Parts: sequence; C-alpha cells; structure tokens
Amino acid sequence: MKLLEVISVTKKFGALTAVDKASIFINQNEIVGLIGPNGSGKSTLLHTVCGRTIATEGQILLQGLDITKQDPQDRAIAGMAIKFQLARIYLEKTVRENLLISLQAKESIWSQLRNRSLAKFEDKITSLADEFQLTEYLDEFAKSLSHGQQQWLEIAMAMASEPILLLLDEPTAGMSPKERADTAILIKKASKKCGVLIVEHDLDFIKEICDRISVLHQGNIIATGTSAEIEKDPKVKEVYLTRV
Amino acid sequence: MLSVEMCWGQAGIFTFGQAALFGLGGYTVGLITKNSSITDIGVLLLIAIVIGAVAGLIIGIFLFSGKRVGELYVVLVTLAISYIFERLANSWTVLGSGNGIPGIPSPTIFGMEIKSIIGLFILAFTVFALILFICIFLVNSQFGLTMNAVRDDEERAEFFGYKRSRIQIVVFVFAAVLASIGGALFAVTESFVSSSMTGLALSTTIVLWVVLGGRGTFFGPLIALAVLQAVNTKMQEVLPSLWPILVGLLLVIAMIFLPKGLMSLPATIRESLRKKSTA
Ligand SMILES: Nc1ncnc2c1ncn2[C@@H]1O[C@H](COP(=O)(O)OP(=O)(O)OP(=O)(O)O)[C@@H](O)[C@H]1O
Ligand SMILES: [Mg+2]
Repeated sequence: MKLLEVISVTKKFGALTAVDKASIFINQNEIVGLIGPNGSGKSTLLHTVCGRTIATEGQILLQGLDITKQDPQDRAIAGMAIKFQLARIYLEKTVRENLLISLQAKESIWSQLRNRSLAKFEDKITSLADEFQLTEYLDEFAKSLSHGQQQWLEIAMAMASEPILLLLDEPTAGMSPKERADTAILIKKASKKCGVLIVEHDLDFIKEICDRISVLHQGNIIATGTSAEIEKDPKVKEVYLTRV
Repeated sequence: MLSVEMCWGQAGIFTFGQAALFGLGGYTVGLITKNSSITDIGVLLLIAIVIGAVAGLIIGIFLFSGKRVGELYVVLVTLAISYIFERLANSWTVLGSGNGIPGIPSPTIFGMEIKSIIGLFILAFTVFALILFICIFLVNSQFGLTMNAVRDDEERAEFFGYKRSRIQIVVFVFAAVLASIGGALFAVTESFVSSSMTGLALSTTIVLWVVLGGRGTFFGPLIALAVLQAVNTKMQEVLPSLWPILVGLLLVIAMIFLPKGLMSLPATIRESLRKKSTA
C-alpha cells in the first residue's frame, strides 16, 4: 500500500484552475520532489494534501484511507506535518516553546493542565535542537533567528511530531549554500522514518535528494520520474526553456 | 476582568460578552435569595459556577464549534448577547425590570452571617485571590502555551493537530465561570443587582482595563482597573455626559497605539530608542 496517493485532484479558485487532475504518490521512506514554474500550482497541491484547502475534485488517500475532506487537525493526528512556504512559526515565543507547541499538540487538555508531558518532551527538545543546530538559541525568541534558522525551526517543529508524511514547501528558500547542504542531510535522515514531499525551486537540491520528481505546469503534472528521466523529457525541456 | 484577560489576552478570544455573564451570575444569586432561604455563599457560588458554565458552553459551542470564525464575528455576537441581556434585565418583571433586585440578604458561611464591610471584603478578596492563583497556574501550565499557540496563529495550531474548537470552548467556559462568580460576589456584597451591572457599558470598561493594562499579563489590567476606577468616579462627577465618550476614545487610541498595553510602554520606548541608535 502506498503512503500517500493523490488521485486526479483538481483545485479551482473561481474560474482559475490552479491544479488540474494531478496525480502523485509517495511510498514509505521515499523523497518525492515537486517542481514547476511560479504559479504552476505546487503549493496549492500541497495544501489539498494537508487540508488547508479542500480539493474541488479527486481523491487523496493516506495509507489507503480517504482524507480528501478531513480537517487539518485530523490529518495532523493521522501523522501529517507541514512546513509552509512562508515559515509560520511563533515569532513571539522562544525556540524551546515553539518546539513544545508542536510536541504537545496532540496531548489532551487534561494532561496539559497537569504538565504531564513536560519532562518527557525535554529530552526530545534537546535532541531536536542539537540536530538542527539550534541548541544555543533555545531560549531566544524565534523572531531573533536568521531566515535560514527560522526555516530549520519550522522543519524541526514538523519533525517533532514524528510524522509519517512530511510536507515541505520550499524548505531551502533564502538559505546559504552551506545551510542547503545541511538541510539536504537532515531531510535524508528524516526520510528514514517517513515519506517526504518537497516543493523546491532549486533544481540541483531536488536532483540530489529526491528518489522521484514530478513536474507541474499550469496545474498539470507533465512528467514524473527519476531526475535523469525528467531531464530528458521533451515536455519538461519545453516548459523550462520557454520560461527563460 | 480576569475573565476577559483569560479569554482575550491568553487565548485571543476578543469578547464583549463578559458583562452578560457577570449579570447572569448576579441575577442568579438575586433570584435564588429572593425565592428561597439559601444564603450560604458556598452554595450560591456553586450555583453561579454551574449556571456560568452552562451559559458559557452554549455560547462557546455556538461560536467556536464549526469552522474558524473571525474575531469580528465573536465581537459582534458577544456584543449582541450583552445587549440582549441588558434589555432583558430592564424589561422582564421576573428580573425586577428597571429596578433590579434590591435587598439581597447578606451571605452566610457555615451558618454565620457575613455582614460587616470588612467581612465582605475578605470574602471577595479570598475568592479573587483564589481565582488569580488558578489563572496564573493555568497560564504557566502547558495548557497556557496551547492557549497562546491558538491565539497567535489559530490556523497553524490546527496543522500541528491542536483541537482548536475544543480549546476555545474550554477557555470560554472557564472565562464564563469567572464572570459569573464575579457577578455573584457583586450581588452579595452590594446586596442588589440591576441592569447597570450588565450590558455594554461594563463590557467596554472591562475590555478597556485589559487593553490599557496590556493583554497577556494579569497585573497590568489590575493596575489599570485601580487607576481608571479612581478617575472614573471623579470624572463622572465633573463631566457626566462627556466621560463615556472619552472612555470610548481612550479605548480606540489605546488599541491603535498600544496594542500591548501601558505596561509595555517602557519596553516600546526602549525598543525605538535602540532602533534609532543603531540606524
Ligand atoms: N487562495 C487562493 N485564491 C485564489 N487563487 C489562488 C489561491 N491560492 C493560489 N491561487 C492561484 O493559484 C495558482 C497556483 O498558485 P500556487 O501558489 O499553488 O503556485 P506555486 O506553484 O506554489 O508558485 P510559487 O512557486 O510562486 O510558490 C496561482 O495562479 C495563484 O494565483
Ligand atoms: Mg508555492
């Protein structure tokens, strides 16, 4: 059974068809890349998967279960985690609090009132911070972090919940080459425990880490395959050539 | 006041309905003491808690159980509830119409009557301190962080798996209970209830305390309360008709220029000075 199956999903915003009968799938431990020109519908497709918008048509299956119309919180509880295109972390909270916000999200109100899981999460916060090079900033406000660190914090928050499916919308935007390389390592490591769907503009980055790539153009998936296959594909060449 | 701070300051639920719930607690006590011989403060408070919780639950479910609703929607609905309650208190004979319910007997505790002003003050202060203590505990618990997460970015919180609507309803019910307890205490200490203790004027004033004192803290609003109450009494003598308008203006000005309250003023000034010096 596939981890995620997006079957012929269409998303319309009024007269605009942002995603048009797109199908993709992700297997366990697989990293799938989604590329395409600006406005081709990448984020929108990701949003139909995480529940930020509901697909107009088509079906989305998570581990075989139909989640097309589920609420975001139910999808999160089912094991989905997302990093948005524009980092959405809690700027007025410290790095530690941000991580805790993600870690405790599924705890019951009753156990939160009794601070039941605080000790348990302390270790996880330490190891996450270590992994994402945030240890020395744990008690700093998230707003004082650099752009790249904020992106990392949001990825760390997404990973904190030990998701089965990790959705990353442009994780390396605004990062230095060194930060990019580190991010690639982190994502590869993450994929040992879950499936990953990445939207990226940086083709080199995508080629390096993805097992499979899908190319989106005006809402249509025009090609899917390994990076070598994608590079040879005439339709992809056309899109990327006409664009520049 | 604590009720609004919990709701709005901590969980981002901007409510103008607390006066109605305050009134509800007050009138509940008024009606019970009129129609029965119950005067035990423990029993009265318990009933006020239950009634406040039920009312809070009904309004909370109505407001928060479906999709995410805008802040404006919550403001309008709670404003409307305050308004309706005020009208009801003014016209319904069971609630004493315009006269309210006078002559509420002094409360008793273990059969002893609390009559003296000092006794009543100690009672009110004890309950208040207890509630303040609970509030501080809540805010510093993990649930406090949850409330803030929902306040700062409702949608984001949902993507982490927070049950947003359940959290908002719980907070709203808690705040409703606080307001209802407040109303009950008002009734027994002042020994009367009337429509002036409910309705829009009070709601606006409470929001003002929280705005001026700074949402997100408990002590800021308390200071604002003390100062404003002192000014209030004076001003109502000097400028009886102009004062309510001034209060409204003050509210608007404070919300625009001091979103974090007076307590944040020193920090804000420091911040802008620092920006200037580094620029
Ligand atoms: N909420 C919305 N309402 C209306 N139109 C939208 C909405 N969200 C996206 N769109 C439109 O849908 C199309 C696809 O947008 P989307 O954000 O998915 O593109 P993208 O591939 O992620 O682009 P980018 O690379 O710039 O992030 C665009 O034309 C956009 O204007
Ligand atoms: Mg996008």
